[in-house]
Amino acid sequence: MTAADLLLLVMVGGLTAYALLAGADFGAGVWDLFARGRDAADQRRLIAAALGPVWEANHVWLIFVLVALFSGFSEAFGIIGSTLEVPLLAALVGIVLRGSAYVYRAYGGGAAGPDHWWGRVFAAASTITPFALGVTGAALATGDLAPAAPWRPCTNAFGLVCGLFAVTVTAFLAAVYLCRDAATAPTTAHLVPGLRRRALGGALASGALAAVLLPLLWSDAPVVAHRFAERSIPFAVASAIGGMAALALLWRRRFTAARIAAGLAVAGVLWGWAAAQYPDLVVGRSTATSAAAPEANLVALLIAIGLGMAVIVPSMVLLFRLFSHPDVSDGHGPG
Amino acid sequence: MELAAGVAGATDLARAQTAFSLAFHICFAVFGVGMPWLLLYTEGRWVRTGDPGWLALTKKWSRAFAVLFAVGAVSGTVLSFEFGLLWPAFMARYGGVLGLSFTLEGFAFFAEAVFLGMYLYGWRRLSPRVHWLTLWPIAIAGTLSTVFIITANAWMNVPGHVREVDGTVVSAEPLAPFLSPAAPAQVVHMLLAALMCTGGVVAGIYAVGMLRGRRDVYHQRGLRIGLTAVLGCAPLQFVSGDLAARVVGARQPLKLAAMEGLLRTQRGAPLTIGGFYDESTGRVRFGLELPKLLSLLEGFHTDHRITGLDAAPPADRPNALLVHSAFTLMVGLGSALLALAALVTLVMVRRRRRGQRPLLPTGRLWLWAAVGTGPAAMLAMLAGWEVTEGGRQPWIVYGRMRVADAVTSSPGVGWTFAGTVTLYLGLAGALLLILRRMATGGPGPDVPPTPVAPIPVPPTPVPRDDGEHRDEQAPSTPHRPRRPDRQAPDRQRPERQRPGRRRRVPVGGGTDR
Ligand code: HDD
Ligand code: HEM
Ligand code: HEM
Repeated sequence: MTAADLLLLVMVGGLTAYALLAGADFGAGVWDLFARGRDAADQRRLIAAALGPVWEANHVWLIFVLVALFSGFSEAFGIIGSTLEVPLLAALVGIVLRGSAYVYRAYGGGAAGPDHWWGRVFAAASTITPFALGVTGAALATGDLAPAAPWRPCTNAFGLVCGLFAVTVTAFLAAVYLCRDAATAPTTAHLVPGLRRRALGGALASGALAAVLLPLLWSDAPVVAHRFAERSIPFAVASAIGGMAALALLWRRRFTAARIAAGLAVAGVLWGWAAAQYPDLVVGRSTATSAAAPEANLVALLIAIGLGMAVIVPSMVLLFRLFSHPDVSDGHGPG
Repeated sequence: MELAAGVAGATDLARAQTAFSLAFHICFAVFGVGMPWLLLYTEGRWVRTGDPGWLALTKKWSRAFAVLFAVGAVSGTVLSFEFGLLWPAFMARYGGVLGLSFTLEGFAFFAEAVFLGMYLYGWRRLSPRVHWLTLWPIAIAGTLSTVFIITANAWMNVPGHVREVDGTVVSAEPLAPFLSPAAPAQVVHMLLAALMCTGGVVAGIYAVGMLRGRRDVYHQRGLRIGLTAVLGCAPLQFVSGDLAARVVGARQPLKLAAMEGLLRTQRGAPLTIGGFYDESTGRVRFGLELPKLLSLLEGFHTDHRITGLDAAPPADRPNALLVHSAFTLMVGLGSALLALAALVTLVMVRRRRRGQRPLLPTGRLWLWAAVGTGPAAMLAMLAGWEVTEGGRQPWIVYGRMRVADAVTSSPGVGWTFAGTVTLYLGLAGALLLILRRMATGGPGPDVPPTPVAPIPVPPTPVPRDDGEHRDEQAPSTPHRPRRPDRQAPDRQRPERQRPGRRRRVPVGGGTDR
């Protein structure tokens, strides 16, 4: 295995972490947007409490992947930057608005407009971002992009369905994670049935969209589709098993185990796509070999990443353990 | 011809966009660097003494820090995308060279975000001591992230340790950015600038409070800490700036010429303070010219030869009007802060001899001066960046790649720029409102000195869904007993919140904002 391949593997790992952690944060925002009924306020509160301590750390995975991309495969980053502006800018606006609106709501105390406005901004931005990132991923697989046609990625069915799929999947993950959070405290236990319904619905919707995506993949991204059939079946199977298991476990209210199964379902899709994408970074335009930085730089990067992870991963585990039971009365910040 | 005009327009827009978003980011990032160090001090004092006043300062600052950090983080994310969106050719060619700096920077962000999560939300889950300890990784990582990003910038200014053939990097030493001769001076200078900006803004806020008549211990401490940071660093900043100028003189002679507004290459070059560079005559108008001083400063000899702008054809010169003005502004403000530092020290020594307390002078004039330190430091910092970046023109990587060759050919840059400006200004405006609310009043503006808040106030009609203010709205547990004085923090798990001897602490310190 070359250094470039190893770096790609690390990047897929980073992407998985981003999808499973920050993805769930986005999904929680989606549920904030669609919170309705008597428990809406309580549900929003639970979402805010679950996100508070971790969303910034989860968000850094995106920066990690991005930096690895432009350090290791600069050419691909250049191509992506000059052809995928529209979805990327949409994602950026989403990221900026989501982060700011979240803290403005949490700390603003109404000084800059009613908190619930910021809540809506947070929720809407949380929905836009995964959609835009889904569109971006689809474009990498089709290679159907050109510098002079910035809107191209957003005008084909495959891209749009991928965006929708991303939103659905994040919403599914979030609902599963939140079930477990809500179930841990008596003050939030009354939210569990609603969240469980959402999780089950999310699982079914994700499955249905995946079924729609497969034929579109064949027609719009034949190169990747062929490799998908050759290499990615094990990942697709793992994903399907994860999805089924998540359904069953949710049904039986085994929420902690359901989290793991849901994670597997999502990671399976991601890995299947990554395996089929290789060795292309942007299909038809840039491959792992054509884009790779000089070997010495890649090795240095990998060493730096290894050392960095040795420090960061234990810290993150500590963070997640410390806040494994979100406390809706915990509030924000110093208290 | 028309194509060229189009490219020039796109380049200007892309530059404006880069400059604007970097300037926006840096205004928040400086607090990410400086604030944790100040918090380490205040919370450390609280942990050691149990004095509630220190806790009150710490809590107030940590709330402001949380908001500033989040805006810094999202605007920084925009930057990392923007480099690819606006300067695709630059990233495609040199992304690998800068890779190590950016990757290490990424890990610094990880560390900051992870421990900040623990810090902000861990008040009731961690013991005071451990809580204080979580600040260390935040402070160290913030400082390191500056080191890493500045090495990338230093390499753009003085690139080296890279071999290129026909515009392609064939080999690069992984440590190239760290080996750039510009790196040490720039790193030190920027770190000091971050501390000065943080300190100045903190001092300014408390000085305003004191001018409004709040002359309590809380305000005096806030003022003292802020002023110590901004004025204590001022002399060091002067020295490191002088060092930076020497490196610039040796490695980027045209930048120095632009900084000084010097057209003619000459021995015994004068130092020109202030004034405006006039491109048509090549002279600085309204400036104060001190003969031979520049040669003396740069080469320790009045005969030292200084390169002027005329060493390059006009198209290859930086905009000397802009750079000279920015440099004047930075040095002027830096000198003013230095003078203030000297005066304050003098007065403090005298007050100490006479046994007066507090040592820090707090007359109205002094307070007004303290208010000015924040804007002065921020302005100097932004001006410094204009010097660094503007003085490098027309190169994006000095001597290797021109800005015009690096820019995107995308047609939509104008729209993007307009959108960015609108979005950022909107967010900044909202943030200012929030910070102003946080800043007004003493330890906790929501806590009236006497508990006038009527107890049976119904929860706000607007549901606050952030879980904050558990007193007013934790609808799942609406019947919790309320305490009129709202000293909520030790309601839950008091045994973990504070060790026994600190039971008495929360007076004023237990409030949220
Ligand atoms: C509080 C802010 C502040 C203050 C008071 C000063 N500076 Fe500064 N200066 C900066 C903040 C700054 C900066 C924003 O941090 C820069 C931009 C890039 C960098 O590394 O530092 C900078 C850059 C910068 C450069 C360009 C470095 C390069 O391009 O490589 C020079 C020559 C100086 N400074 C010199 C000075 C001098 C002689 C000062 C005398 C008082 C001074 N600065 C005060
Ligand atoms: C002088 C220049 C810079 C300094 C001193 C600086 C410093 C910092 C600091 C301290 C943070 C932590 C967030 C905060 O405290 O507000 C931060 C965040 C960030 N910066 Fe910058 N930065 C600089 C320029 C840049 C540039 C040029 C980029 C883009 C390549 C960048 C990318 C980022 C990113 C992605 C984050 C988010 C990190 C997170 O989520 O925690 N920064 N920066
Ligand atoms: C955070 C503080 C910074 C500020 C305020 C700042 C400011 C500026 C300004 C004013 C320009 C436009 C120059 C001109 O057109 O006259 C610029 C350009 C640029 N800067 Fe910086 N800069 C900062 C840090 C950095 C860092 C740390 C990097 C790289 C790691 C960087 C990379 C660039 C690039 C790529 C351009 C565009 C090309 C150019 O015009 O030179 N900047 N910046």
